[in-house]
Amino acid sequence: MRSITKRFPGTVALDGVDLDVDGGTIHGLLGENGAGKSTLLKILAGDYRATEGSIEIAGEPVEIDSPRAAREHGIGIVYQELSLLPNLTVAQNISLGFEPSRLGRIESGRVSELAERALDAIGVATVDPERQVAELSLAERQLVEIARVLTIQRPRVIVFDEPTTALNHHDVLRLFTIMSRLRDDGVGVIFVSHRYREVLEICDVSTVLRNGRVVGRVERGEASLGRLVELTLGQKGETVFARRWRADGGGEVVASARGLSIGSRIHGIDLELRRGEIVSLCGLLGMGQTEVARALIGDGRDIDGSITIRGVAGVPRSPRSAVRLGAGLIPEDRQAEGLFPDMSVRANISISSLRRIVLSPLVRIISWARERRLVGEVGERTGIAARALPRPVRTLSGGNQQKSLLARWLLRRCDLLICIEPTRGVDVGAKVEIYRRLEDLACGGAAVLIVSTDLPEVLGLSDRIVVLYRGTVTAELDPRVASEQELLLAMQGGVEGEISGLLEPEAVS
Amino acid sequence: MAVDVSGATAASHEAPLERARRAAEAFGTVAVAGLLLLSFGLTSSVFLEPANLRNILVQITVVGVAAIGETLVLLVGGLDLSVGANVLLGSVVAGDLVQRHGAPLWVGIAGGVLASTGIGLLNGVLTAVIGIEAILATLGTFLLAGGIAKIVLHSSWIVVDDPFFGNLVRTHVFWQLPVMVIVLFALYAVAAAVMRMTPFGRAVYAIGGNPRAARIAGLPAVRIRIVAFALAGAFAGVAGLLQIGQLGIVSSGNAAGLEFQAITAALIGGLSVSAGGVGRVERTLLGALIVGMIANYQTIRGIPPNYQQALLGGILLLAILTDRLFRGRS
Repeated sequence: MRSITKRFPGTVALDGVDLDVDGGTIHGLLGENGAGKSTLLKILAGDYRATEGSIEIAGEPVEIDSPRAAREHGIGIVYQELSLLPNLTVAQNISLGFEPSRLGRIESGRVSELAERALDAIGVATVDPERQVAELSLAERQLVEIARVLTIQRPRVIVFDEPTTALNHHDVLRLFTIMSRLRDDGVGVIFVSHRYREVLEICDVSTVLRNGRVVGRVERGEASLGRLVELTLGQKGETVFARRWRADGGGEVVASARGLSIGSRIHGIDLELRRGEIVSLCGLLGMGQTEVARALIGDGRDIDGSITIRGVAGVPRSPRSAVRLGAGLIPEDRQAEGLFPDMSVRANISISSLRRIVLSPLVRIISWARERRLVGEVGERTGIAARALPRPVRTLSGGNQQKSLLARWLLRRCDLLICIEPTRGVDVGAKVEIYRRLEDLACGGAAVLIVSTDLPEVLGLSDRIVVLYRGTVTAELDPRVASEQELLLAMQGGVEGEISGLLEPEAVS
Repeated sequence: MAVDVSGATAASHEAPLERARRAAEAFGTVAVAGLLLLSFGLTSSVFLEPANLRNILVQITVVGVAAIGETLVLLVGGLDLSVGANVLLGSVVAGDLVQRHGAPLWVGIAGGVLASTGIGLLNGVLTAVIGIEAILATLGTFLLAGGIAKIVLHSSWIVVDDPFFGNLVRTHVFWQLPVMVIVLFALYAVAAAVMRMTPFGRAVYAIGGNPRAARIAGLPAVRIRIVAFALAGAFAGVAGLLQIGQLGIVSSGNAAGLEFQAITAALIGGLSVSAGGVGRVERTLLGALIVGMIANYQTIRGIPPNYQQALLGGILLLAILTDRLFRGRS
């Protein structure tokens, strides 16, 4: 791909990006979220058209203006989100959209044959083509997805878009075998991943994107975790996070987990959250940090071990039981799990504190005056304009919606607030305000748990950073001394030998 | 550089449409009712006579009361197809106890309402606890309740002569309005107040509006859903008692198709089958009035009853289409 530029209204997503993928190599494509990886892939896949630039395959310029054209040029993409139809069989899925047919009738015999051949090609004999996709494990589905992509004639470039996020170690190795085999067949393989150790293990060469530009091309010999992390992050200006107050770590324990295991993601971790502290739970996508947060709020599955919230032991059975113990969750997707779109902002805030706004515990009639007063107070504290309170919450901006959720838990006076991606899709002004309120909440004696992929945010906001890697707590960092590089390295499961040059000894506790 | 455009700008964009939508929600039903009243009054000499208007109110009472329950269920994000059969069950149990077993009146009343509430409770458990889709669960209980009613009836009918029931229609309270019409208005007033002023009402709107968010917010979603369905059963039972008063006789064809009239009334009133959490109980009364006025007008103009069902179907579809038009955004 030659000097690819892609402009969207108001922003340049890609700015003269070159990507050279040689046949018979595995090429890593790295960068933070928003660096431009997805846009580049979408152009390659024919979903987007580049504003400028060209694509050449084997030296010949090609026009890729549709997914079908991409397919015809031998470009296949294995997406991160699986696109299989669960109620069809493996074989039907593999030939979906390209069913071998004669006179308009699908030849089911050839459908099976095609599937068998495709599965064979990637060395998978364990998946029966006649099984329904719904019955398959996540890893098996991924294999079917790959098989499906490989049914294209003469594959030349195959892209794997964060394929390992949902896989365990064993399945990752199997995937690598498939990728290596493709490479040996002369295919150019592009591997998009946030897991740099995997990149180091499998990739012959890596291209790193930052803010829509190529910032480095690293050959296998010269690649190291430190080098890749450095390229990814670049020299970022320090974001201003003036924490006014920091926990001394001596607060009473509000919530704790002992030997917590969740499905195949988390293996027996311990966690303690104390009054007055903001703790961040960090890890790469799919390392289970969200699952830990969900387990604490009573919205998890396959949980082993013990959780204690405010002295009450036992894994909360439902969010309701966790909320009654004084916990609250601000979910990552506030539209889907946070807000009641057609209800007023006021009702959205008071919904978890209905007990506080009734006339008396016996006369369960809502006192509108009390509701107005109490919600008005927390609204003022969170910076929601008073005139916004009677409006439907869906008419508010993302930042104000997020503040409404924060106000909900402030009104509830919760002791444990869990925030997943607290500032996603929120403008800068609201961001700062949300940080302030989270601080206030901690100052007021609550424990706050943050799960965020925004590293500057994690470093600027937390008192303590707990890093998860492959199901266990691998590091605990002090954000006062840890740098973004050290955090990202720790999230990559960086071992001491490799990071010793970067990490000061007292940063690891 | 990702640019977030989801929030701030979208709000100002939507404002005019938003306002039109809200205005339509607030006044649409009232306008339609007024327009019908006007046009029917202009084209028929008897339509606006007080006796005829009273007649309309009496005729919509049974559907109107059943529609309160239907409204609750729609608000919480469900659907209740068993309402009609449940009205019949309530009237059959009450009539059977009082007339055939000589039970005291209060036992009959309590028995009828309890039987219907039981079916409602079953609906709640099937949908909220077991997780069966409301349309299927209540299709089952529709057959179940209707079947039980017919078993109790023994392929016969019950003439109920207890004066209590007759007085529901015969006794006038004021403006020559019979007791059952007063009961209709009173029940709507109570239901509207409960939905606005109690934590239960808030929870119903929240759960209907976004079930997942309701769960995360710590609301007792399962319990509230069960209560909503059970209340729908109770309202059906009360509607059954009122129907005994209106007809004086309990027979298996009494409440046939009533669930569709109730759903139509609720939808005309601005409720949605596709999304819970929107609409107002009192507007369902307006919806019931519109359906009642149309049926009454047809009778006055001598349109055969055979046409009425097709027309009701047309109105129901129109209400659903309007709902789609306004809520098609998601």
